Amino acid sequence: MSRVFSYVTVSTLVNTRDNVVMAEVGAGQVARLAVLFERHHRALFRYFVSMNGNREVAEDLVQEVFFRMLRYRTSYDPAQSFTAWMYQIARNAGVDQVRKRGSAQVVDIDSFVDRRAELVSASPGPEESVSRGQDLALLRRAMDRLPEDKREILVLSRFQGMKHEDIAEVLGCEVGTVKVRVYRAIRALEQIYFALEKEKAS
Amino acid sequence: MNCEQAKTQMLGGTIPGENQGEEFAAHLASCETCRTESSRIGALWQSLDLLPVEEPSGKVRERFYEMLGAYRQGQASVTMPVKQAWPRMIWQVAAAAALLAVGLGIGYGVREDRSRPELVQLREEVASMRQLVALSLMQQQSASDRLRGVSWSYQVEPSDEEVMNQLVTTVNHDPNVNVRLAAVDALRPFTGSPATHLMARNAVIQALPKQTTPIVQVALIDFLAELKERNAAPELRRMVSDPDIDSGVRKRAEWALERMQ
Repeated sequence: MSRVFSYVTVSTLVNTRDNVVMAEVGAGQVARLAVLFERHHRALFRYFVSMNGNREVAEDLVQEVFFRMLRYRTSYDPAQSFTAWMYQIARNAGVDQVRKRGSAQVVDIDSFVDRRAELVSASPGPEESVSRGQDLALLRRAMDRLPEDKREILVLSRFQGMKHEDIAEVLGCEVGTVKVRVYRAIRALEQIYFALEKEKAS
Repeated sequence: MNCEQAKTQMLGGTIPGENQGEEFAAHLASCETCRTESSRIGALWQSLDLLPVEEPSGKVRERFYEMLGAYRQGQASVTMPVKQAWPRMIWQVAAAAALLAVGLGIGYGVREDRSRPELVQLREEVASMRQLVALSLMQQQSASDRLRGVSWSYQVEPSDEEVMNQLVTTVNHDPNVNVRLAAVDALRPFTGSPATHLMARNAVIQALPKQTTPIVQVALIDFLAELKERNAAPELRRMVSDPDIDSGVRKRAEWALERMQ
């Protein structure tokens, strides 16, 4: 059987770097985007869920990111970090989606966040039990209550495991600034967490 | 290093590729305030790991491959933001899926009919997509993903050597017993294909001495008995006489040898 796609071997799936695969997509082998999809769609989904708290919207946005990769595939520079490029697209897609939703209906962000917090406390899961000294339900509520910019930098650095250099590229700032912002974000999380803990105790 | 500088380094040791350096260590040794703070926020940082991980539904993958197929047919090249895009995309994807289904139906009918090269091409593309998904999933870190990859392997042509080889690798080396068991079962179609049956049979025989988990050993023995694979007899006899092997497995090997007679 002659292959229409470039022949995908096990070793290329494992070893080929993202930027090389994306360069191949840019050169016209669009089916190779599936390799990048398999590698990154879960992380992107978690990013969007962490940012907007809505699984359905997050799934739409994952789709949109890969759609945009196809559309802008020729603009990708293989010398650039693929992860940084992908999250730049993801951020833009997220912003466009919020704008779109904002024009369709006025969303009160505070009440949205509070509703998420209520849902969490109303449906305690196994994570409710205190573990390693942290109340995970409180921690999740604290994450939800973090200002968006702080939540984003924590999500990128902690959950997406991105290097500071890549985050700096995504956010358009210096690496030193990223370090300071990550520190401030974790401190803010700590303060919100302790505030919630006090609320709970009183 | 002063306290201000130390604060930006506090999470460095917890981030891959980041190094806090000797200066930071020296500062912590001499500053109790920073030492306490570093330990406190480091613990909070680590505890974020315990938050439940959200997983996307299977629809995401399904929709991606539909979108990719539609895009490749030039039907998804319109500039669209999310909310506007989807109603149109759904129609495009539905149309593409319908075309694909028709194409596949005719493609199977005409087989390698050179007069309809576009249908043959379409069929090959779908086969390649399935291969890609199966191979890619079997490479993932999560055992549930690898299990899904094994399931996907049923959708590829049983003559696909690459997928067969990956299944063999999974049988031999996957750390998860359930994934290994599923991969043993998934090798069955390959033993029925003229292109791969010899390789598949040999791979199953060679996998037998590599396994140490009784349940997987039994699965392989059953498979070889079902195939009446006499080339496995020497290995089965060795197993029967090896006192280190689980007694249940030895009995099963004995049973298989009798069945092959």
